[in-house]
Amino acid sequence: MSIPSASSQNPALDNEGAVKRFFRATEIDTRMLGMIAALVLIWCIFDVWSGLHLHNNLVGEWFQGVISGSDGLLGGTFLTPRNIWTLLVQTSSIAVMASGMVLLIVMRQLDLSVGSMLSLVAVASGVLQVYQLGPSLGVGHPAIWLLAIALCLVLGTGIGAVNGTLTAYAKIPAFIVTLGGLIAYKGIAFYLASGETVAPMDQRFEVFGGGVQQSWLGPFWSWMLGLLVCAGIIFAIVNGRRQRRRFNFPLRPVWAEVFLGLMGSAIVLGLTNVMNSYPWPYNLIANYAKDHNVTIPPGVENRDGNAICMAGDQIVHCTNGLIYYTGYSLPVLVALGVGIVMSFIAARTSFGRYIYATGGNPEAAELSGINTKWLTVKVFALMGLLVGISSVISSARLNAATNALGASNELYVIAATVIGGTSLAGGVGTIYGAMLGALVMQSIISGMSLLNLPAAYQDIVVGGVLVLAVWLDQIYSRRVK
Amino acid sequence: MAKSVKKSPVKKPVARKAAKPAVIETHESPAVVKGAEPHAPTKANGTPLVEMKDISIAFGGIKAVDHASIDLYPGEVVGLLGHNGAGKSTLIKILSGAYKRDHGQIFVNGQEVTIANPRDAKAQGIETIYQTLALADNVDAAANLYLGRELKTPLGTLDDVAMEAETRKVMHRLNPNFRRFKEPVSKLSGGQRQSVAIARAIHFNARILIMDEPTAALGPQETAQVGELIKQLKAEGLGIFLISHDLHDVFDLSDRLVVMKNGKVVGTARTSDVTHDDVLGMIIAGKCPKGAIPGPGAMKQVA
Amino acid sequence: MKNILKAVLAGAMLATAMGGTAAMAKGKTIAVSWKTFQEERWKGDEATIKAAVEAAGDKYISADAQGSAQKQAADIEGLIAQKPDVIMVVAFDSDAILPSIKKISDAGIKSIAYDVQFEDPNALYITFDNVGVGRIMAKEILKAKPEGNYAFIKGDKGDPNATFLFQGQMEVLKAAMDAGKIKNVCETFTDGWKPDNAQKNMEQCLTSTKNKVDAVLSENDGMASGVVAALKAQGLAGQVPVSGQDGDLAAINRVALGTQTVSVWKDTAQLGKAAADAAVAMAEGTAIDKLPGVAKFNGGKKKVEMNSILLAPTPITKANIGDAIKAGHITKDQACAGVKDGVDACK
Ligand SMILES: Nc1ncnc2c1ncn2[C@@H]1O[C@H](COP(=O)(O)OP(=O)(O)OP(=O)(O)O)[C@@H](O)[C@H]1O
Ligand SMILES: [Mg+2]
Repeated sequence: MSIPSASSQNPALDNEGAVKRFFRATEIDTRMLGMIAALVLIWCIFDVWSGLHLHNNLVGEWFQGVISGSDGLLGGTFLTPRNIWTLLVQTSSIAVMASGMVLLIVMRQLDLSVGSMLSLVAVASGVLQVYQLGPSLGVGHPAIWLLAIALCLVLGTGIGAVNGTLTAYAKIPAFIVTLGGLIAYKGIAFYLASGETVAPMDQRFEVFGGGVQQSWLGPFWSWMLGLLVCAGIIFAIVNGRRQRRRFNFPLRPVWAEVFLGLMGSAIVLGLTNVMNSYPWPYNLIANYAKDHNVTIPPGVENRDGNAICMAGDQIVHCTNGLIYYTGYSLPVLVALGVGIVMSFIAARTSFGRYIYATGGNPEAAELSGINTKWLTVKVFALMGLLVGISSVISSARLNAATNALGASNELYVIAATVIGGTSLAGGVGTIYGAMLGALVMQSIISGMSLLNLPAAYQDIVVGGVLVLAVWLDQIYSRRVK
Repeated sequence: MAKSVKKSPVKKPVARKAAKPAVIETHESPAVVKGAEPHAPTKANGTPLVEMKDISIAFGGIKAVDHASIDLYPGEVVGLLGHNGAGKSTLIKILSGAYKRDHGQIFVNGQEVTIANPRDAKAQGIETIYQTLALADNVDAAANLYLGRELKTPLGTLDDVAMEAETRKVMHRLNPNFRRFKEPVSKLSGGQRQSVAIARAIHFNARILIMDEPTAALGPQETAQVGELIKQLKAEGLGIFLISHDLHDVFDLSDRLVVMKNGKVVGTARTSDVTHDDVLGMIIAGKCPKGAIPGPGAMKQVA
Repeated sequence: MKNILKAVLAGAMLATAMGGTAAMAKGKTIAVSWKTFQEERWKGDEATIKAAVEAAGDKYISADAQGSAQKQAADIEGLIAQKPDVIMVVAFDSDAILPSIKKISDAGIKSIAYDVQFEDPNALYITFDNVGVGRIMAKEILKAKPEGNYAFIKGDKGDPNATFLFQGQMEVLKAAMDAGKIKNVCETFTDGWKPDNAQKNMEQCLTSTKNKVDAVLSENDGMASGVVAALKAQGLAGQVPVSGQDGDLAAINRVALGTQTVSVWKDTAQLGKAAADAAVAMAEGTAIDKLPGVAKFNGGKKKVEMNSILLAPTPITKANIGDAIKAGHITKDQACAGVKDGVDACK
């Protein structure tokens, strides 16, 4: 009987297999690894499938396509820089909101009103830009976009704080408060613009949607940013080591640290490379060249080329010629930035610590002296702020604000959060998990849309994946325990 | 009879004190000694560290605590006894700020204080080990230990490494075998969890320590260690409320005993003045023996 | 106190009733059974009809079924009891309404199916030509791009209108498609008719065709805004013709800017006016098949042949934006915001 107690206190390191030892040493979250594997699998399936689709289901031709490398990684249209680039832009709005929903669900709350709130905030800022400031300051005035964004952030935070106050101080269950919000905010959004679509947005505001060339970072700055993030990763590793040395704690093996540093940097640089491989659309290159008097080199026409060149006095597509690449787009940067900041808040601040502790045991948190009511208000307000950010992204991207803009977004946000491993029982969940969850979901939707599959199938598959993900997660956590 | 004797001498100095804090000590201490003298002379020197007077609280008609008064002096351990549901936990939860009382006053060092929430209690140096432990199960020992008063780096972020280092030190004192610092406390054994809860209470230089059945889940070695700890803290001048159903432990560790029954105080006694059987009589029948000061909950004919 | 209040109320009611009788003596009575006032548009329709009926010197009475088939049956009985000359019905359920319609004709009252069809051979059916909307879209786009790759951004899969519109488009495009001039490269339903879903679908369509899309048939204006945003990101806005319907203000502005080709506009004021005029004429005794613009229609579920007035919706294009401005549907500033040149109405 002494054996189990001994092993629980001193884990028998020698008996571990190499794989187990690897994960222990690197402290990689195997759950996240599973999700990334699932994501990669989904991507590969869609690429092969779309490849077969492209070649009218002729396996031979598809295989030649794979070898020639003219299409996606596996011969399709999914694993192309263009599609990955678009996919990330499409995911950004839901991902931003999912990062806040994680914290709410972790502390055993829920916000069902985010979709309607997004509509309301977007329409309010649309009305401000198009009907109020446009006519009074003059269309295109530089103050418009600033005021519009400020309104989104302030209004979002304010509505979130209202949700939080009703939940925490009036003690109405969050489910009811935000269900009411789901219905009511939609109504206010309709009322604000009498159900009309408000468009077009201010030109500078539109930059936040990623649809115009001003919102693309370009290869140089994208590389700089990528390198900066790599430097950040290395700094974090070195600093962590120094901290642990300060107290003479056991250190991770050096090989594990090096592996983590290389792995992190490889992912960052790989992503940067993909972003930098997506060329500007043909017309935009031509327009830019025209507007900025860039000379277009002569060349031979190739209908599939991404560059432009002069064939005689005609501008045509060609393989070698004038070409620009997009790099990271602003909404994706915003989403990644939000992800980093939110992860930092969750892991490295007492605010984040309190959220997790409250989710683990609300009574214990209260007894520890945490003001859980005020904390609840703050977390709801943070959710609102993120909805404000998402509303900027979505309405800028659509270049229009409508009361349908955020409809049913709450379902996608909650689904992303849950697919990402957040437990509805509270206390457990990660920001990166939820954002990956959003990416998984959007990958399925976009992939099926790429294959021209009916929308009904998309719903069926996304719903199925949600349930499957939670089931797999439960099997996983039972195994780990 | 006994009630009025106990009540009046205490009340006067307090009223005076509110007006003129400087004069309190000289006036108050002899008064208290005089009042307490006939049955159970307590430590004569100084103001009580804590005094809870005439505390009542009801939960939807159930009078969980009914006009109870208790006090505690520096360097003293007061054992709080009673049957299940007697109101012990509820009474001390009022002191720790978990519940808001319906009636009564709380004095710390003779000054009346408002304790409306756990933060207020902690500000008064009152630390509590709850019967339910009150741990956040999903975070690790260090996070629990420092919950609500985290160590920060100069940048204002959590200094997890420093917190872990400190936690290792405290835990070593209580439970030298403990190693599982990286895991959420939900994965720990009952006794390990209790050790974490104890560590949290003693780590922040408390003046007043409330221990609600602190050793219920501990093994013999760990229980002995907690006993040593209590003696040590007592020597350092802390006041400790100890709630336990283990009469041996209580007799071993406490200077005075307070017995509750149905929310009322049956009586207070110096440990040396009563026997186990006396105390059992107080707990079960509410019979107040010779050596004890009867409270409002005592059976009438004995008083 | 209460009694005084009661007396005042009774007096007021009596006055109203007498006023009502007085009006009835002057002209005919037109009754309308509305299916619901929850949706914004019906209030607008009511205002138009009421105004037109009263302008003709007739009396307008109505009932609101509040989205319930049962209530609508009871409403109609109540209306019949007031002996109107014509009852106009916006049916909540086009099958469940038929027994009530029979009661109307049994009472010797004439009936009109307003905007929602019920299949009774004695009634007049008045609506916009819905299949026609799809046809007009396709015609305008075909004019702009007679051959090439077409993308079809359809509405919500659960809404039969999405399919009707598509049918209308196909009728027009069939010949060109059979001849191989036009290729259907993407065809997708759009969840909830949502603009952002339409944008994503259009993006995926552009990705899968490598931007080889020459024209887009979007079934409404909201979705057109998503389509145009997707095209704009590829530098294609303004080069690829895009359709829409509803006469959204933002869409009319896009038409003026040239990023959308056409917005088919169903002016419900026009529908209300036409229905009120028909009702007034029927109340005066004009036979249904003698009304101006009446034709036979048997495109319903059961193929019952009925007399109908099908109004042609108005395609708003660059050429006739001025009409929408003149009709007061949109101000010149709204329509022309950001327009630099080339549109007459904006000069
Ligand atoms: N939060 C609450 N809501 C309602 N009733 C409560 C609450 N807390 C305690 N009570 C009631 O108050 C009475 C006293 O409970 P308390 O927990 O103080 O007893 P105790 O003396 O600590 O008992 P034990 O020895 O079992 O720990 C009991 O009747 C209990 O049911
Ligand atoms: Mg208890």
